Amino acid sequence: MHTKSRDNWVAAAFVAPFVIAYLVLFLYPTVRMVILTFTDAPLIGAGKWIGFKNYQRLFNDKAYISAVWNTGYFVLLTVIPNTLLGLVFAMMVNRQKGYVQSFILAAFFLPYILPVSVVYRIWEWMMDYQFGIAQYALDAFYGERVAVFRNKVWAMPMMAFVTIWWTIGFNVLLFIAGLRNISQDMYDASALDGAKRWKQFRYITWPLIWPVTALVLTIQLILQLKIFDQIYLLTLGGNVNNTMVLVQYIYKQAFQLNKGGYGATVAFSLFAIIVVVSVLQYQALRARPR
Amino acid sequence: MRKLMTKALATAALLALTVGAQAKETVVWWDFLSGGDGVRMKSLIEEFNKTNPDIEIQATTLEWGVPFYTKVQTSAAVGEGPDVMTYHLSRLPLGVDSGVLREITADELKAAGIDGANYAPANWKAAQVDGKQYAVPFDIHSIVLFYNKDALKKADLLGEDGKPKGLDGIENFDAALKKLKDAGYDYGMSFQTAGDGGVWRVFYSLFNQQGGEFFKDGKFLDGDNVDKAAKAAGAMAKWVSDGVVPKQTDYNPSIALFTSGKAATLMNGVWEVPTMADLAKQGKLGFEWGAVQIPTLFDKPATWADSHAFAIPDRKGKEISPEKLKAVLTAIKWMNEHSISWANAGHIPAYVPVTQTEAFKTMEPNATYSTLAATAVFDPTSKLAGVASPVYEASANNITTVVNGDMDAQAGAEGLRDELQGLQD
Repeated sequence: MHTKSRDNWVAAAFVAPFVIAYLVLFLYPTVRMVILTFTDAPLIGAGKWIGFKNYQRLFNDKAYISAVWNTGYFVLLTVIPNTLLGLVFAMMVNRQKGYVQSFILAAFFLPYILPVSVVYRIWEWMMDYQFGIAQYALDAFYGERVAVFRNKVWAMPMMAFVTIWWTIGFNVLLFIAGLRNISQDMYDASALDGAKRWKQFRYITWPLIWPVTALVLTIQLILQLKIFDQIYLLTLGGNVNNTMVLVQYIYKQAFQLNKGGYGATVAFSLFAIIVVVSVLQYQALRARPR
Repeated sequence: MRKLMTKALATAALLALTVGAQAKETVVWWDFLSGGDGVRMKSLIEEFNKTNPDIEIQATTLEWGVPFYTKVQTSAAVGEGPDVMTYHLSRLPLGVDSGVLREITADELKAAGIDGANYAPANWKAAQVDGKQYAVPFDIHSIVLFYNKDALKKADLLGEDGKPKGLDGIENFDAALKKLKDAGYDYGMSFQTAGDGGVWRVFYSLFNQQGGEFFKDGKFLDGDNVDKAAKAAGAMAKWVSDGVVPKQTDYNPSIALFTSGKAATLMNGVWEVPTMADLAKQGKLGFEWGAVQIPTLFDKPATWADSHAFAIPDRKGKEISPEKLKAVLTAIKWMNEHSISWANAGHIPAYVPVTQTEAFKTMEPNATYSTLAATAVFDPTSKLAGVASPVYEASANNITTVVNGDMDAQAGAEGLRDELQGLQD
């Protein structure tokens, strides 16, 4: 006999592995981290309870506020360009056929499979102020050499450029999958009605690809808010204040200055920022008519 | 069947015995020596493994600076990491404060036959915090001025003795660098103008040549020390803006500029001596080179110096076993006793008996620049100082920016002071 309570037990048994893993591996550490923000703990080990002192410090910490701005600037420079360029390249790749298509797709995707350490070496060498090959191009077109990763004006846009170069392949892939889902019939029918390329894009491709665009935008936003590796590596040993982003600031406080409590506070603030921004973005994207 | 079993068992037992007899104590070793001196260290380790069959050092070289020290700190905190590692004495107070280093007790040192009397008193003491020993010094190293003899000759800056002349005093030095540039070299001098290490070493030397005190009574750059810092940074910035020193140049390119003959001189650490020696030996340098103590540009001679030492990480919950500790200390002692080949890498051995040998006294170019030891200045003793410390980072943020012309010297010196004082309070 099937009773409702028995069903519930079976269901619970199936759900349990996930719930337990979620509680133990995610929720518990999160709660502990929030508790950490109220202490003066070092990186490893316990600390004294100091109430809201870390939070007071946070709002008066110029370096923190500049890290927030730097992160925002980086997000602005990467999220939308990376998404739109991904779509443009996907549409271009999609127009090709057979081997040509595979080859171009591979060319776009290749950087994505590189580890960040390789990406950083490639660009560090290319952009080296004395011997980098790209400096000759800069010299020719801009008129002088620029230490791009150490220059206040150039650093962030260059970081964004490297990031887009590195990660766009994945976006292209997602968009191609989306584009292939749009039936050719619609384009044929619209062509019969006299729709040109732009109209086809405006009224068929764009609305139908929108779910993928929204997905890519969301993934990008969260990813870029958490930016760390490239920026850390490319500015290693240099002027880090120009490009100090939030995760790097967490790293600095917790791992370099041994301030676990304050580092956790910065981390928690980043968590809050990501939640707020993601919710806002979700609302904004949903509000868009399909 | 039974016979077979017995045989198998006997073989296994025999095998176990032989393995037991050959059991080696492995010592996991981390260092950050990847330059010309790293090659010397690798051959030292190889020789140690050959001559000490019961100990095997398994060495890994990690990236110098922040990556090395961050890795050491996090791994020690979770009970991982090496059995022994190289450590800068400038960073010792910071290392002890963050609980990374294990004390080496007097008894342990005595049992291993390591005697503090064999080291310069100040050097030995620099390896202590609150009277406890945390490291064994290995060398003293500093910056020197490498020079291209052909270039100096062309610019009439080479004395009869084959050493540079007329470089003392900031005006003379500036003029000399211009002369070298006029003699057809891209730069009069090269040093690492991007990043933390290179700029800090030159800056700290020039600052101390004015008798400055970087850290005193809990205050950074107190009083007119900030002006001395500005003067030092300003002099460096002038070289860059005059085009006699390359702008924004990373560590390896800064050396390449010298070895390729584009820069006439190079202000860098003695650890690059083997780079020059090896290139010259292979006939790849294309000019005669030398190295001297850095000139006195201000009131008195002073040269930045630091010390490489061996330390044992305090691995939480996975402390080093007595047997392994013995092996580690044996290795440390052996390294110090054989540090003549480390002197070959440009360094001044910390182990005094080695420096008293004829072999060391006649070793070039060490013998030429070893005069600097008398006026060497070490990084301030503070939890914020040392390699890959907040002092290095603050210097990279402020002084490096000044040197590359993106900030006024006074503002940079004040920025340095405020950034460090902010961390101190």
